[in-house]
Amino acid sequence: MPRCASLGTVLPRVAGPGLLLVLVLFGVSGPAAAQEHVEYERPVDVAPTEDTIGEGYVTPEVQRPRPRAAAWQIADVVLLAAALGVAAWLAIWRRQRGWLVALTTACLLYFGFYREGCVCPIGSTQNVAVALVDHTYAVPHYVIALFVLPLVAALFFGRVFCAGVCPLGAIQELMVLKPVEVPRRLDKALGWLKWIYLGTALYYAVLPAIERDFVICRFDPFVGLFRFTGAAWLLMVGGAFLVVGIFVGRPYCRWLCPYGALLSAFSRYAWRPFSITPSRELDCGLCQSACPYGAIEERRAVRTSCFACGRCYRSCPVHHAETPESVVPAAELAGRPPEAAP
Amino acid sequence: MSKTHTRREVLGHAARGTALAGLGGLTGLLWLKANATFAWSINAQRCINSRLGAVGVDVCERCSTECVLALSAVRAVNEFKSCGRCYVCPAYFKITSAVGPDGLPTEKVCPRDAIKREAIGWIDPDDPANNFYDYTIDETLCNGCGRCVLECKEPAGLGSIRLEVRHDTCLDCNRCAIAQACPEDAFDRPEPA
Ligand code: SF4
Ligand code: SF4
Ligand code: SF4
Ligand code: SF4
Ligand code: SF4
Repeated sequence: MPRCASLGTVLPRVAGPGLLLVLVLFGVSGPAAAQEHVEYERPVDVAPTEDTIGEGYVTPEVQRPRPRAAAWQIADVVLLAAALGVAAWLAIWRRQRGWLVALTTACLLYFGFYREGCVCPIGSTQNVAVALVDHTYAVPHYVIALFVLPLVAALFFGRVFCAGVCPLGAIQELMVLKPVEVPRRLDKALGWLKWIYLGTALYYAVLPAIERDFVICRFDPFVGLFRFTGAAWLLMVGGAFLVVGIFVGRPYCRWLCPYGALLSAFSRYAWRPFSITPSRELDCGLCQSACPYGAIEERRAVRTSCFACGRCYRSCPVHHAETPESVVPAAELAGRPPEAAP
Repeated sequence: MSKTHTRREVLGHAARGTALAGLGGLTGLLWLKANATFAWSINAQRCINSRLGAVGVDVCERCSTECVLALSAVRAVNEFKSCGRCYVCPAYFKITSAVGPDGLPTEKVCPRDAIKREAIGWIDPDDPANNFYDYTIDETLCNGCGRCVLECKEPAGLGSIRLEVRHDTCLDCNRCAIAQACPEDAFDRPEPA
């Protein structure tokens, strides 16, 4: 029997565990008491009181804004999970780039410019590392969720976080205008940098508290751009990455991002990663030159380095020239999941 | 669904299952000691400017200079209920400066003139020294330089002014630049109870 999984049967299978995870993540936490600041009372008995001051004096309230409401943190996690799901659906089932670009832009605006890039899954790697080695250090539930969700998504669908959710990736993705091909061996060699970076970041994160440093955050080239403020040299580095990124697709993602290293490791075992298949595509090799990230080898997307951007589909004669209806029968014949046909 | 699995598929499932279990375990481990909030705050008992017993030290202005924001997210806060409402507040007046015709020091501590002084309660029309005064810090002007905090400490002050992080302006940087620079390790995120 051909493997004939329609969207209707596939999505519940994967949405189930995902939703469960989110529910478990937040169900367990409950309304934990928020501890906003360290209470600090000096035993002052010489200070005048309302009575000694007289004339109906009322002690003014001390202005003390609260941290961002927990509801917003939950909203962030739900949005992240939803964006991951939508990215997977667009890249793997709809197989088209247009809406992926829209998702990318939306996530750049929200996670990047509105939320100003902190805390992000990339940086959270350090918090997680510290929490594992330092018993006095803990990360809040929502940061745990930020760290884990994209990795879980990578186990199912590959690097869909990079496809349209990560603001750092998004800002570079939108800059890829005139990509040139990087020699494969150079590309591969530079790819090791991200593991070195990851190792360095973990090393500095697990140092004793007084020497600890979060180098990923310290040298994040884009967060300053999201905030329109920051050290001048870092803003320039960020700008330089974007300018280089016009010609060399997503240099930070491909060669430096430490979380990208984890994502590529996890997506090696992805259940249904982004794919270029003879049954859905033409297998003509036109896409090879369309991929600005050198992620197509022998006419197949390499799951560990593909950002699921969908450019290859746009260059594909099948997706480009024909209407979806004429594609579906071919897909069904070959036993691939057809488009969701309402 | 009856179908045969290739060895590759089985291995893939096994690897994926293992990775999922690993992530689950990691999540559980972290979850057990997770804390609820993650906001940076200043431990006033450690900050050199407000710590009791730290007398004769130089003011630490890193809270105003290190923040990634142009105007730091740190402000001085007067905890009114422990304020002495002094006539000559050492955090308001530079008590070492020359005395003016009104009998008050002529210079102020705050370089940004962020503190407002106002007589409160029953006001003695003849002797201003007989009155109580509220010292209110203007949120929009203060940049958390900590000078007033240092002065409002023994021997002259009651320690009612301290530095606090403004949670509505703080960006919650995962790596707070001030925390990294604070020499007293006073800037941290509260640990789980
Ligand atoms: S490689 Fe890193 S920076 Fe690039 S999109 Fe993926 S997670 Fe974001
Ligand atoms: S193979 Fe290349 S072009 Fe195709 S989705 Fe992946 S990164 Fe984009
Ligand atoms: S950097 Fe530390 S010691 Fe200096 S003013 Fe800020 S909290 Fe106080
Ligand atoms: S902390 Fe500095 S700027 Fe703020 S009120 Fe005190 S002296 Fe003025
Ligand atoms: S977390 Fe960032 S914005 Fe907040 S006080 Fe520290 S450096 Fe300033």
